[in-house]
Amino acid sequence: MIKEGAMPMDSYRLAQYAVQIPCYICGVDNTYDAELCRQCYAPMALAHQAATQKIAPRMVATIGASSVGKTVYLGMLMDMLSRQPDRLQMLARGAFSISLQQATASALARGEFPAKTPTEPERWNWVHAQLKMAGHKQPLELIMPDMAGEALLEELDHPHTYDVIHPLLSKCFGVLVLVDTVKLQSGSLDQDYFTMKLLSYLAELDDHPKRGWANRPIGFVLTKADECEECFADPAAFAQSRAPGVWRQCRERFRVHRFFAVSVAGGCAYRNSREGRVRVPLRIEPRGLIEPFEWLVKQR
Amino acid sequence: MQTFANRHVAWLAALASLAAAIGGACTGSRLLDMAAMAFALGGVWSLLRRRAARNAVQVPENGPVAERDEPSPPAALDSDDLDSFVDGMLARHRYALLLRRQLVSNLTEEQYARARDLLEENMALVPAGSVSLTPTDRGSEDDDEDDDAGRVVKHVNALFLDRYPVTNLQYREFVEAGGYEQMSIWEPAIWTAVLDFVDATGMPGPRFWKHGRYPRGEEDFPVVGVCWYEACAYARWTGKRLPTEPEWVKAGSWPVPLSDRRQWQRRFPWGDTMDRERCNLWGSGPGKVVAVGEFSSGVSVGGVYQLIGNVWEWTTGNFGGPDRAGRELTLPTPMKSIRGGAFDTYFENQATCHFQSGETPLARKHNIGFRCALSLCDVATPTRGDEPVESAVDEAETQTPAGEGVEI
Repeated sequence: MIKEGAMPMDSYRLAQYAVQIPCYICGVDNTYDAELCRQCYAPMALAHQAATQKIAPRMVATIGASSVGKTVYLGMLMDMLSRQPDRLQMLARGAFSISLQQATASALARGEFPAKTPTEPERWNWVHAQLKMAGHKQPLELIMPDMAGEALLEELDHPHTYDVIHPLLSKCFGVLVLVDTVKLQSGSLDQDYFTMKLLSYLAELDDHPKRGWANRPIGFVLTKADECEECFADPAAFAQSRAPGVWRQCRERFRVHRFFAVSVAGGCAYRNSREGRVRVPLRIEPRGLIEPFEWLVKQR
Repeated sequence: MQTFANRHVAWLAALASLAAAIGGACTGSRLLDMAAMAFALGGVWSLLRRRAARNAVQVPENGPVAERDEPSPPAALDSDDLDSFVDGMLARHRYALLLRRQLVSNLTEEQYARARDLLEENMALVPAGSVSLTPTDRGSEDDDEDDDAGRVVKHVNALFLDRYPVTNLQYREFVEAGGYEQMSIWEPAIWTAVLDFVDATGMPGPRFWKHGRYPRGEEDFPVVGVCWYEACAYARWTGKRLPTEPEWVKAGSWPVPLSDRRQWQRRFPWGDTMDRERCNLWGSGPGKVVAVGEFSSGVSVGGVYQLIGNVWEWTTGNFGGPDRAGRELTLPTPMKSIRGGAFDTYFENQATCHFQSGETPLARKHNIGFRCALSLCDVATPTRGDEPVESAVDEAETQTPAGEGVEI
């Protein structure tokens, strides 16, 4: 008696392993079913989407010191652009791209700021989205990671600690550098020093006379400006008086730059918790969030 | 109709006895009365001074200099002065001051009728009753204390609330009348700071004005860029006050008693569901402050417009205490409560009748305005026709057509 049946040939499955897929960020080869890059921990979905949809997403980074507001800025920006298609319309590609705005908006609606971004790159939120702009037929494919400030600081002090940061910033066509207005206003120079370090790092990443960072757009975003109205009136003047080092370095080294003031919360208070005194928003009133991003993508 | 002599004597008698007359049985706002009356007194005194100056000019040129320099005794006000004084107050929306018990008996019938008409046209009646300050989807205990579930139920006396936020045009009347120089209407604690309440050009006025003027074409926009103290001063100048938090919430949520211990109140003035076409919030409007007459479909049951959206509104309450999850907040500075959300409020749950936020009382922000309130008991009780006010209020409580103001 002959029994018939179908058996999968594992060799076909194994054959897929033979085809390596390069990470979209660092270029290291990964297996086809890898979720994160084995080298830099960027999501391999970025590479899969680029390959299957035959697109070449461009990258924008949001960088700044720890607790400057990178997650809130990026999450709210995503949420605003996806909720109100006006001059810019953002459509997330892949479920993972919605996690950041979901986490941010949920926390803010509860009257809390989102949790601090972990330093481990495998736990960062990445956004891959399609950006449609009024007056432009071709949508722009964008990749934007939400990086931890501590990781950036560590990378600045000890290059190649994080394998994702160097290749990512090298490939970005522009960055938004976030600076804490409240700390600047209080007279602290930490923000000034940290941002100067970032700028030096960028300048050394690529010093090509045409394609280098000297000619790439850099938007300086003064965050938490709700607590300093004069910052909204003239962000550049505020930066000049409060962050003179950054202001001077911009003028000398970066040809395409602009200063912006943004705020997300309309007011803040503090709450005691197990982690200590935690800052909480009293109400959410986004102000000036879209302008820096819009300016940046129009410089491409 | 009163004769001129009677009116004159009565005016002076009412104004001269202000200090002793303060403290009506039901006002509970001595300071407000004192300030308002003091300002009214100031208005009459300025009339007297003008009259005295006019008399001094009429002295023959060949008269002795010393005689000319001697202060003339205050001349009696003539009927034109009094009428123009009242007309000026009515034109500047200071009808509430004229309707005070201490002054109303000195008005002519025509003046009284005009003041009442202005009151009814510009203010909506909010009937007395209890209101829960915490959001609830079930009934609330009719108790004046904090109940076990953490809900706070307060009793509110009947009041009038401005139908619209105070506009730039209305506030300009205050500025042009020298409101920033009348110290009697400012809280003494803030006198030293009043000099700093200037516009973009250094003139007294809201922060975003220039040369004492609001931006062109924005006369019907709610005035913004005013701090809590400026809002209080304006309210006193008009004979009103800022609403308390329970009063503001009651005007919007319009509680309906379901039983002796239960009541239902709405999340938004129009109902329980957010409808972004009824209010100017982020994503529903032009992204900026609009005129107070817009978004009229968001009117409350009692006929109050724009309680939700457009601009936050100052109230008298202090902000603080536990947050929505019951966790205690620490404020960087003392804050006053603001309510209603603004044109840039992002989340719907922060633009409900119950949501409370806070701002430092000296903040002069682009999205915070105010509207005024007036206790019903502070309005003189003379009747209109044969109908007593109290009975009219009872009638109003039983007839509350949606979208219409309640007339008394």
